[in-house]
Amino acid sequence: MKKQVDLVQGTLDMLILKAVSLGGLHGYGVLLRLQQLTGGRLQIQQGSLYPALYRLEHRGLIGSEWGESENKRKAKFYTLTAAGRKQLKAEAASWTRFLAVVASILSAIPEES
Amino acid sequence: MKIFRRKRFESDMDAELGFHIETYVDDLVRSGLDRTEARRRARIEFGAIEAAKDECRQAWGLQRMDELRADIRFTFRTLRQNPGYAAIAILSLSLGIGANTAIFGLVDAVMLRILPVRDPGRLVFLQNVGTQGPNGGPPYPCFELFRDRAKSFEAMAAFSASNMEIAIDGLSHRGGGREQVRGVWVSGNFYQMLGIRPLLGRTLTSSDDRTVGRGGADGPVAVISRAYWRQRFGGDAAVVGRTIRLFEHSVTIVGVMPSEVMSLDPGRPIDIAVPMMMSDPAMLRERGSWWLDVVARLKPGVGVDQARAESDSLFQAYMSDVQIPPAIRKLAFDHMELAPAAGGMDRLRTKFRKPLTALLILAGLVLLAACVTVANLMLARATSRQKEFAVRLAIGAARGRLIRQTLTETLVLVAAGSALGIALARQGEGALAAFFAEGNNQIVLDLSLNGRILLFTLTVSLLTGLTFGLLPALRAARVDPAAGLQSGARSIAGSRASLRLSRGLVILQVALSMVLLASAGVFIHSLRQLESVDPGFSREGILTLEVAPEESWFGKPEWLALQTELIDRVRRMPAVRSASWSTMTPLSGRDRGVILDVPGFVPRTETDKDVHLVSVSPEYFATLGMPLVLGRAFGAGDGGSAPNAAILNETAARFYFGSAHPIGKRVKFAHHAANGAGDYEIIGVVKDAKHESLREEPWRFIYIPIAQAIDRVNRLALSVRCALDPMALAAPIRKEVQSARSTLLITNVSTMEKQVRLSLIRERLVSTLATAFGAVALVLACIGLYGILAYAVTRRTSEIGIRMALGATRGGMVWLILREAVALAAGGIAIGVPAALAVGHISQALLYGVEPFDLPALTCAVLVLLVFAAIAGIVPARRAGNMDPMSALRCE
Repeated sequence: MKKQVDLVQGTLDMLILKAVSLGGLHGYGVLLRLQQLTGGRLQIQQGSLYPALYRLEHRGLIGSEWGESENKRKAKFYTLTAAGRKQLKAEAASWTRFLAVVASILSAIPEES
Repeated sequence: MKIFRRKRFESDMDAELGFHIETYVDDLVRSGLDRTEARRRARIEFGAIEAAKDECRQAWGLQRMDELRADIRFTFRTLRQNPGYAAIAILSLSLGIGANTAIFGLVDAVMLRILPVRDPGRLVFLQNVGTQGPNGGPPYPCFELFRDRAKSFEAMAAFSASNMEIAIDGLSHRGGGREQVRGVWVSGNFYQMLGIRPLLGRTLTSSDDRTVGRGGADGPVAVISRAYWRQRFGGDAAVVGRTIRLFEHSVTIVGVMPSEVMSLDPGRPIDIAVPMMMSDPAMLRERGSWWLDVVARLKPGVGVDQARAESDSLFQAYMSDVQIPPAIRKLAFDHMELAPAAGGMDRLRTKFRKPLTALLILAGLVLLAACVTVANLMLARATSRQKEFAVRLAIGAARGRLIRQTLTETLVLVAAGSALGIALARQGEGALAAFFAEGNNQIVLDLSLNGRILLFTLTVSLLTGLTFGLLPALRAARVDPAAGLQSGARSIAGSRASLRLSRGLVILQVALSMVLLASAGVFIHSLRQLESVDPGFSREGILTLEVAPEESWFGKPEWLALQTELIDRVRRMPAVRSASWSTMTPLSGRDRGVILDVPGFVPRTETDKDVHLVSVSPEYFATLGMPLVLGRAFGAGDGGSAPNAAILNETAARFYFGSAHPIGKRVKFAHHAANGAGDYEIIGVVKDAKHESLREEPWRFIYIPIAQAIDRVNRLALSVRCALDPMALAAPIRKEVQSARSTLLITNVSTMEKQVRLSLIRERLVSTLATAFGAVALVLACIGLYGILAYAVTRRTSEIGIRMALGATRGGMVWLILREAVALAAGGIAIGVPAALAVGHISQALLYGVEPFDLPALTCAVLVLLVFAAIAGIVPARRAGNMDPMSALRCE
């Protein structure tokens, strides 16, 4: 079994935005896509997905529409809005910067000893 | 709408989560699990569904709404559990809010209302002003000069209210269809300038007001008010085109106008408006007759100062060839001023400004008392609920939620109180409107609810809620869960701070009732003083009515003969003691001023020659009960051919003759002296009588016989002294007069007693309402006292048990509690007395014969308060006295 990673606080929203940006998805689809993208290494509490989706929709970052799923059921599909796209870009950029800073700290070579 | 959306939200969320779980189950089944096991796994991995849903709702911003709903539901449940508490709180609030809404409605109708006319801010009154203040508008020729010459105004109109006698063609009626209506003469452009549209037909125009005595192209026309149209014509649309007779003219009704803007005198009802050209031609010509009011619309861009300067220079030019004594000119007609006309004329505002201010203050105090009552109730509740709050805090409720819960309760109470208060105010305003509409000089007020009143009530209610709701809310949040859970209910409840606070609030309640009761007492005392003023005539048993013949009889000998016949007929009726005619009666609102030359008297000011004139028939003084001081009264011998005789009142006699004996002296009416007809010999002196109001200092009066009148005699007042209730004789006397001549017009049937009562309308208004307010405050204070004492008994149960076990008497225990009642009342009284004096000083101008420090009123208020405090205290005190020591000791 691959080593599992806990979700860093506050990153779920960004990950959802990213997942949805790759094409319209229903809630379960978001979960599957995140698992697929991370190769199952990311632990996501299924129940916490929906409050996040609702929050994003309420903020206007994603839109929703009822449609038919691949298994012929009625499902709610989410798509990224223009505002969501901007937000994703900004968050991704700041995340990258953050990573770089953390990485540079961790890769510092001790001067003595 | 909201609820539908809410339902939709819930079903969508269910569907979405259901889809998630179902699909996951399918996937798990596909990977080889058995369906039941798959379902179990799916549920576990999803986590708590309800918690997720709740978070979704919160994310969507629905939680606050849910919480509010829960708070409101909870509030209703707790209020239902404590119906007594809820009822007292809501009733107290509704009384306070209702009183304020009603009084503010009155203030709004009388003081704040802007006339519903086009662009009222540009309208101004043109007023003659002298050292005496504003004095109406200029004479008609001067108005014409302004209208044609002044460049500062877009338009200018004149109006003058006057009673009119009309006959409606085609409506059979007593007195040959004649009736008296409240009319107004208006210049033709009046309504057009104001921008008032007719409700039916057309309005008057300038072309209706072209030729004296003829009107315009359509001949003489008139418009009537909506109120008159409905009352007299039953709202029949066929009224347009009907004709009425006004003087000798046939006048066509061309339209129906809104009642409230028939004239620009708020509160004064007007039935009919007729163009100026149909009024008395002599008055229209007179260069020195001051009978008009003039209103104008300023041109855009023209300032008030500029317009004033222009009209004043025209006025000064006009006045240069008007014959008028310089002193009088200085007093009343010195120059022109412009006054804002947006609210109409000031008559009503001037009359009621002070009473309404006083009432608004008193109503505010009632509301404050209601707030204090409810604050105290809520405080007691918050204290007794501390344990509940402690539990809720301990199991994780946020303090903010507790505060919100308490505030929700406040808002529910305020909302219920406001709704009931507005309903009460509506009831009260009906009574107030009826109060104002009484008598012959009706004041018609539109007291219907409007946006401004509602806004006022809303503001007042919210302030109220904040005042009494914030304190308990904050206290609720301060609960310490640990302490609250440990101790028994009583030991927290007895916390000294909250007890001190409630006592303070009860003392404040008593103080407020003290102020209100003392004010009521002072106003009642003042009203009694006025009522017991000697008016100089007797109030009881006198019926008065006005009788007018048709115009062709005015001043004719036939009318004089009929007067004598009528007196004889009325006097022969059973229960009639005496009867007489006069040109006016006291307190009827009529007046006639003349200038009197008294040989040997040197006037110091021009007004010294002014005297009020009444023409009377023999027996007038006997009928009204005005005692003769010197000389003789008029008799049958003082007829038209006899030497002219006059009687002075005491004030006039003293003023003109000092200590000299006036009988036999001669006086002269200045403007009627041409053919010696103005010469009169003084034959008697009569006691002073009030004429316009009971408050006034006596005026100078001269009385002459109707047979020797200097004016043309037309309408007269008939006074009848009755042995029975005068109103009971009204109908038979009316019938007798009508049977003597069916065309006589009878109006204004009243009694002297009623006239006296109507003249005290302001005083009665204030004292009635102040008494009601005082009673409300007293009841509230009693509730407060009772509450705190009943609580004291509960709190001190074990103490009382111990005391009784140690040998204290039952009487002692009763006194223990009563003492607290008296102490609280005394504390309130001590604060209330100086506050009452302060309020008394504000309302001093309304008082008559009473000082703001009115000992009887204050004493009464104190006694009433003490008695009621004792009554409020006696029930809990007796419970203390009747306690069984054993069970009291056991009680915890």
